[in-house]
Amino acid sequence: MALPKRIIKETERLMAEPVKGISAVPHEDNLRYFDVTIEGPEQSPYEGGVFKLELFLPDDYPMTPPKIRFLTKIYHPNIDRLGRICLDVLKGNWSPALQIRTILLSIQALLGAPNPDDPLANDVAQKWKEDQNAAIETARQWTREHAKP
Amino acid sequence: MNTVLCRSDAVDGTSTPCLPPPATPSYMVDHHVVEGIEERPALAPHTDTDARLLVRLIQCRQCSKPFSSPVTMPCGHTVCQRCLPAPQRRVNISYPQTLDHQLGILCPVCGQENSTADCNVDVTVSKIMALLVDYVSRWTAKHAEVVLTLEEVPQPPNDALISEKEMKGHVAQYGGGRLAGTFQMAVDGLLDYWADVAYSKSPGCEKDDLEDLDLDHFNSLRDAISTEMDCMVCYNTMLDPTTTPCGHTFCRHCLMRTLDHSIICPVCRRDVYLSPSLLYQPKNHCLASILDQVWPEVVAARKHTVSEEERPEGALDVPLFVCTLALPGMPCFLHIFEPRYRLMMRRCMEGNRKFGMLMYNQASTSQGDLGVTRFLEYGTLLHIVNFQLLPDGRSLVETVGVSRFRVIEHGMLDGYDVGRIERVDDISLGTEKRLEATEVGTAQSQAALYNAQHPPVPMTAANCPELLTTIELFQACKQYILDMRARSAPWLSERLVRAYGDCPDDPATFPYWFAAVLPIAEEQKYLLLRTTSVRERLKIVYMWIRRIEGQRLLLPRCGGYIGNILATCMGGFHASLTAFISTS
Repeated sequence: MALPKRIIKETERLMAEPVKGISAVPHEDNLRYFDVTIEGPEQSPYEGGVFKLELFLPDDYPMTPPKIRFLTKIYHPNIDRLGRICLDVLKGNWSPALQIRTILLSIQALLGAPNPDDPLANDVAQKWKEDQNAAIETARQWTREHAKP
Repeated sequence: MNTVLCRSDAVDGTSTPCLPPPATPSYMVDHHVVEGIEERPALAPHTDTDARLLVRLIQCRQCSKPFSSPVTMPCGHTVCQRCLPAPQRRVNISYPQTLDHQLGILCPVCGQENSTADCNVDVTVSKIMALLVDYVSRWTAKHAEVVLTLEEVPQPPNDALISEKEMKGHVAQYGGGRLAGTFQMAVDGLLDYWADVAYSKSPGCEKDDLEDLDLDHFNSLRDAISTEMDCMVCYNTMLDPTTTPCGHTFCRHCLMRTLDHSIICPVCRRDVYLSPSLLYQPKNHCLASILDQVWPEVVAARKHTVSEEERPEGALDVPLFVCTLALPGMPCFLHIFEPRYRLMMRRCMEGNRKFGMLMYNQASTSQGDLGVTRFLEYGTLLHIVNFQLLPDGRSLVETVGVSRFRVIEHGMLDGYDVGRIERVDDISLGTEKRLEATEVGTAQSQAALYNAQHPPVPMTAANCPELLTTIELFQACKQYILDMRARSAPWLSERLVRAYGDCPDDPATFPYWFAAVLPIAEEQKYLLLRTTSVRERLKIVYMWIRRIEGQRLLLPRCGGYIGNILATCMGGFHASLTAFISTS
């Protein structure tokens, strides 16, 4: 099936005007599948880390959101062990006016502002609430170990 | 609209001899009836008429100035926010019960009453206006030396007799060429919406290549606003622009698809109270005219591409609904709620109203040449008899089986399956006869041999359907139906008849009817779809009956147990069915 114009345009724009700290490159054999990297935002426990993600645009994209998952291990209350992300815009709050670029920016923002009150990884969220400093330290350590640039 | 056409026609070339021969005032022509690009008049922004036409596209009909805070009403017309008439209280409106729905605004263009809640600033037209004002003023400053004298040529309504004085239009001098001058004249309130313009070079203006200048200006303006003309959903130039009450515009089919998934506006997330079928929602006339005028070739190309895209790719031309078992000649009632199937149904209704119904391949068995697919390879082509769209976008669909088919090739289109199918027909009657003769003959001679040895269980029609002729099989099955009816209440059979018709007298179609009313596993009924001989189908049905009867005989104390279950199942199922039919 031919690739919709929208996906072609989005890909072109991602290549032509990349977002700082974010890259998304489509696979040559499947232009709906992207290799994504996101740099940890400054002033966050993820600073200095480069996180790998996979992104897939389903058949009825942009009517349904892209499917995204962290490949790099990350210690975050809204990201579980399998890399799945708890983010409203990836679920019910998706809108076809959003795009790959805005979604990746939202994920980067989520790294800068973890929300332990709406957790996906319960154990991490628990730690985050009980002892925030220790949790942040763990996140830093995981970033150093797993998210080497 | 037609009156407008007449007005311009009456004047062109008569009172303003400086104008070129009367060009069709194409911006008023409904381009939906125009096929192909060639027939459309090419736009010539460097000519007097078209310079005037272009500016009229963004002039408010009320104040004649270029739109300022434009509002596009649900009727599709656009005026400045300040030009909206005062809201009036609407009577006999109780839902939704908010103040702004109690108040209505009469559209100054068409007179339709729109609720004030739905009259919001049109985001796209606003952005375009901001860009135009900016670009025109910069252009005028850059080419201030090209001064033209513009004379407004008023067009009196309905050929009324107007005195010389009233006919006299405004005269003003503007720099920047025809397009910029006309725009500026409208900004200054010196150009009536209906009026034409006569252009002449002011004394001292030495510019010779005025045409090139206007063309350059037109191109720069077109490039400036082109990105605003992209739909936020498909990223293409908008096709049939349709505006939400919150003021955001999308291609009509993109907005439809979005509303299949959610009732909120994709851009601002406000609830969009629009009918699920947007077919009758007026388009945004202002944007549609701009697109048709400025990008006629793009609009034509988009129409072509969309009609291609909506059609399943290449040979995969049949939409496939993987859901349940449907049988030829039998009705199938569906409740459509999934967004992808809402889209599929809409396309079916626009097309030939047919789609294929397939069952899920629950056991993940290999389907012939297709390998393991999520559906079983044999299905029934359904024709939509009755389509009822519910207010929330779901629909109740009444279909009837047309023919059986096998999937040859399949793919996906916007989330649902599509395929190339091959019709499945019965073997010829000649072959059918030969098959019967051979089978009955062989079975009878074998049974005679076997039974001569006095076995404990002799071979009879009860355990060997091959002994019976096709008509005997049919009659045995039919007798079972009669027995069943005698056992259950008469109203039950009435309901059955109402939903599925009376028991057919044709042995070829009887098994489908029987399968439709018999509450046994669908996987068993599926066998009928792939059986291409009448005799084989009857044998399948006969064996079902033997099995049901056998179970009944094994449970003598629960006399009529299976029969009763059968009757109860049928009753419950058909009660709901009848309720559905009587409502639709």
